[in-house]
Amino acid sequence: MHIADGILPASVALGGYAAAGGLTWLSLNRIKSKYKNPRAMIPQASLLTAAFFAASLIHIPVPPTSVHLILSGLMGIVLGWFAFPAILVGLFFQAVMFQHGGLTTMGINACLIGLSSLFAGALFHIRCYFGSGSRAINGILSFSGSFLAIALGALAAALLLIYTIPAQLDVAAERAAIITLAAAHLPIALLEGVFTALVVIFLLRVKPELLEMEER
Amino acid sequence: MSSVLAIKDLIFGYPGQVPVLNAISFNVQRGERVGLIGPNGAGKTTLFLLISGIVSAKAGQIMISGSPVLKGRFNPAVGMVFQHTADQLICPTVCEDIAFGPQNMGLTPEEIAINVDRAAVSTGISPLLDRVPHQLSSGEQRLVALAGIIAMQPELLILDEPTADLDMRYRRRLVGMLKDMMQKSMLIASHDLEFILEVCTRVIVLDQGAIQADGEPPIVMADHHLMEEHGLELPHSLTAAWHRHRSGTECPENAVRGNVSSAAGKTNSA
Amino acid sequence: MITFNYTVIADSNLLLRWEIRHKIVGLLSLIFSISFIRELWLLPLAILLTVVIYRLSQLSFAYYWSRIRLPGLFLLVPALIMPFGYGSTVLARVGPLTLKLEGSLIVLLIAIKFLCIFALVLSLFAGTPLPKLVGAMHSMGLPSLLAEMLIFTNRFIGQLLTDLRQTQIASGLRGFKGRSLKELKPLAYIVGTLLVRSHNQSERVFQAMTLRGYGEESLIQRVDEARTADRLALVATLVPAAGLLFLQFYFSTAS
Repeated sequence: MHIADGILPASVALGGYAAAGGLTWLSLNRIKSKYKNPRAMIPQASLLTAAFFAASLIHIPVPPTSVHLILSGLMGIVLGWFAFPAILVGLFFQAVMFQHGGLTTMGINACLIGLSSLFAGALFHIRCYFGSGSRAINGILSFSGSFLAIALGALAAALLLIYTIPAQLDVAAERAAIITLAAAHLPIALLEGVFTALVVIFLLRVKPELLEMEER
Repeated sequence: MSSVLAIKDLIFGYPGQVPVLNAISFNVQRGERVGLIGPNGAGKTTLFLLISGIVSAKAGQIMISGSPVLKGRFNPAVGMVFQHTADQLICPTVCEDIAFGPQNMGLTPEEIAINVDRAAVSTGISPLLDRVPHQLSSGEQRLVALAGIIAMQPELLILDEPTADLDMRYRRRLVGMLKDMMQKSMLIASHDLEFILEVCTRVIVLDQGAIQADGEPPIVMADHHLMEEHGLELPHSLTAAWHRHRSGTECPENAVRGNVSSAAGKTNSA
Repeated sequence: MITFNYTVIADSNLLLRWEIRHKIVGLLSLIFSISFIRELWLLPLAILLTVVIYRLSQLSFAYYWSRIRLPGLFLLVPALIMPFGYGSTVLARVGPLTLKLEGSLIVLLIAIKFLCIFALVLSLFAGTPLPKLVGAMHSMGLPSLLAEMLIFTNRFIGQLLTDLRQTQIASGLRGFKGRSLKELKPLAYIVGTLLVRSHNQSERVFQAMTLRGYGEESLIQRVDEARTADRLALVATLVPAAGLLFLQFYFSTAS
């Protein structure tokens, strides 16, 4: 789901920055209206951001290879509106400190990952209406949220790539390309879903407060 | 007696730097509790990583009960309790955490249950089995981490700074517990010299990548010059004995053990 | 804290002496003007500008190569698909696939832009301490909350990576291999544990910081004053950046 530098036309990359700017404004506004003293939340949000960043470097075995998870769904569930600034910080570190590239496409990547993360968070927190203590409810909601987050994010990325790359392409080939790209992400989305549900159930047993940041 | 651990001419170092461990050799026999003391950076933790197979040596050999240690290979015969026990506790309950190692060893559920129960009883944490490890005090966490290792029934138990975050009560409990495990071989690194003196049957002074002394704790640790030379202090319980020894009234080991024994341990001050 | 694994002598390094805000604006303009390129014949110009800047940064080619290997993988997917999927001019047939001219040219364009942008990003950020960078970005409009999160995250990320590594070693010593999907649950436990520990630590950090007056004063560094040389350097990068943009738009509307 990560789009590298140079692939997208610059206008789309700049558009991505503008959209990310809007989303930043929105999430900071929501944070300010939600917490009396948002600065008091900074250490917590930052340490969790660092933890998510570290966790995304873990190799998850998918024999014969291994993959890294994005954990965007889990970030939305735990951090709520703080997920968006956390993702910006994560992408900045990836691009600047770890030099994995993606500076020009940081805006568009932030939008893709950030929106899917906020979506997963919102979906998870409807658990309040079903009984937030139930393991089944927590598991199902966190699985669906993060599965859909990755699947929809990948689909959006595929659409972006295909519709913005300057080339003549017939409709059938276009459809085939989209389906291939999205299908390639399906196992990853499933894995993210299952993994997120496992972490959420762990947190429910060990430190349920971590799932309640957004519900306070 | 058979050696549980046999180390021969072990060399470890990073390219372009002074070797961390320079051709060290020693054995640990069954039932021996060996203390490892020395200043920070003496190579104690590196030695543990080598014995556990986390890093591999530049040269030399490490044998556990007659078979060589291979890097990256899981070896339940060696159990290590880390200095920061929080690094070691990952499961949602104490019970699951203790069962984690035995499960990975492929034991049957019955065997796992028995091992968990025994480990919990021997460390005195049975009442904590359903608790969340992260909510326990640091003393309780250390005992849980120890139980998690004991449940794997290792032949060699390695403890890295086991008393670092313990209050007097837990420290006393740990001392009693370790002394009760008569059959276990142990390698214990600690800056808590009183603890080493109480628990260990033998002590090794490690400094500058080499073994500086190896012998019975009351003898080695009472050697004021040796200890000072390697950045260590005499344990308080031996200080008085040292002063009496210096004034010629008493041998240090007599002061501690109350009986006369010839130098059973060899002290080879470098 | 993460630091860059190379050293340069700041005094002899023009890019490190350049005031950061001006450097950000200048080099970002250049980066974006390169990303706007769609005409192949502009690529040599982009490469030339990149080489000049990279030489000024005094970074070695070995450093560039060591950094680009991993992100370069992101290019593989389009590089493998597009030469066969796009265009009508057949270059060659490879088994059932046909290699096409248009697709191959697009890959060439994307790859060269990627390589140039990567070198410029390295030149922009390498050697600049993060707190200074964040201070400059804050003075250019980055919200305080984001700036402080960057500083905090940077402060703790190294330690959390160490914690994670230690936990993985400790689990490995208890027989955990992490090589099959069956071990997903313990992996989830490891991640969950990392979150719990970082949360617990954040509470301690916040208490300790409040005791030292956090909340009263900002953590964000103040920026240096700009000199004439900084402004001149900015002009020297804005002119070629604008030139590239002009040429691109002039020729794309003309064709």
